Amino acid sequence: MNIIEISPLQLVLCLAFVVVAGVGSLIFKLRLEKDLIWGTVRTFAQLFLVGYILKFIFDIKNPYLVILCYTWMIFWAAQTISGRVKDKEVHLFTPTFVSMVVSYMIVAFAVTGAILQVKPWYTPQYFIPLGGMIIGNSMNAISIALDRLFSDLRKESDTIELALCLGATYQEATGDILRAVIRAGMIPSINALMTVGLVSLPGMMTGQILSGTQPLTAIKYQILVMLMLVASTAIGASIVVHIVRRRCFTKAHQMAIS
Amino acid sequence: MKIELRNVSLEYDGKPPLFQGVNLVVEEGEFIVVQGASGVGKSSLLRLMNRLQETTTGEILIDGQPIAKHEVTSLRRKIGYVQQTPTMIPGSVEDNLDFPFQFRSAGTHKPFGAAEKQKWVESFLIESVKLNDDATKLSVGQKQRIALIRAVLVNPEILLCDEPTSALDQQSKEIVEHSLERLNIEHGISIILVTHLDLTFNLVNSRRFLLRPDGLEEVSV
Repeated sequence: MNIIEISPLQLVLCLAFVVVAGVGSLIFKLRLEKDLIWGTVRTFAQLFLVGYILKFIFDIKNPYLVILCYTWMIFWAAQTISGRVKDKEVHLFTPTFVSMVVSYMIVAFAVTGAILQVKPWYTPQYFIPLGGMIIGNSMNAISIALDRLFSDLRKESDTIELALCLGATYQEATGDILRAVIRAGMIPSINALMTVGLVSLPGMMTGQILSGTQPLTAIKYQILVMLMLVASTAIGASIVVHIVRRRCFTKAHQMAIS
Repeated sequence: MKIELRNVSLEYDGKPPLFQGVNLVVEEGEFIVVQGASGVGKSSLLRLMNRLQETTTGEILIDGQPIAKHEVTSLRRKIGYVQQTPTMIPGSVEDNLDFPFQFRSAGTHKPFGAAEKQKWVESFLIESVKLNDDATKLSVGQKQRIALIRAVLVNPEILLCDEPTSALDQQSKEIVEHSLERLNIEHGISIILVTHLDLTFNLVNSRRFLLRPDGLEEVSV
């Protein structure tokens, strides 16, 4: 099957979709015109930039550059998480960043090096997109889990203090909360396992099919990705939630958040 | 167990101190009542004594040793704390009475048998409450007494009680106060109680204090 290359003119034609949305915004007074224009400009700029960076990285095939690129992606994911969760009392960025780098490096390596047996394991064409999916999905899982962690800790502060007063460690006092929080983070990726292919075709699979891959090859990659994402969300959410929970208590098992 | 507060002060995030210059010695088996206006820091004072919070300056000694030298989970089992609003974990009265025994710091201590627990419930004059009742559906007065029993089952040497009667009607208030007297006299548990209310009971061996921002003053009973 031939790939139909999108010409610059065709790309410009796509702007018609934004114009339709803009007209709708004007008619219904949604005041979204500025955001639509800015969003469209950013989409073009960001994706072209990424395209050129990826082309550069793909051409060079340097393991350090691949790892640097991956770390950079994780850096932004960790930034996004600490921005979304917005807790003033606990510093989130460093623990999130460090645990994401360590755990996702291991998962990405396991997929490219051990399962797909790509040679070399850091071949950017595999490592970067697979790693990117790990980061994107886990970022959501970690955001959900941390958001829930802070709200549950505050909501249940009386019960936690009761347990602490009765001689519990902070780990014992928050064991149930921790389990609920990790579950909440994992539920979207488990739900995705249940509904994949029924409700929608996953983006990666669609992309592969559009670019000429046989559907049966594409689904095998998709299965690999789905299972990889379950593992990475579980590992990422568990590690980050454990570390952040630790920071919500002092060494003397006192609540450090109010 | 003896608690000693030496020149203790507490302040939050650069605000003026809630209180300062607080000195107090509580000997074994004493009954101490600390009164004071709302917001003067009575609850915080109690929370310092079982190390739910740290002092800003000054020191707290437990049996002559700085509080930080004691292992905190076993310290909190020896110094029980009854919260102002009794918190029940979801489940039955029995689940609540067994709750303290699931923690590592309980060591080899196992939950009490059903008969023993029922005896405690009855001795606190809440015969109508059964062990398998839903604890979250009890009245505040009943919850307050279950919370007291739960703290006592851990076998503390000192019991810190934070406004234990403030949410109660007159009858429940008297029952709780009477229960505290009995814990002090019959079981030898030291009690440190803070309240902004006048007390209806008048223990012979109790000492009363008034907490003010500039210290703790002993007042005559």
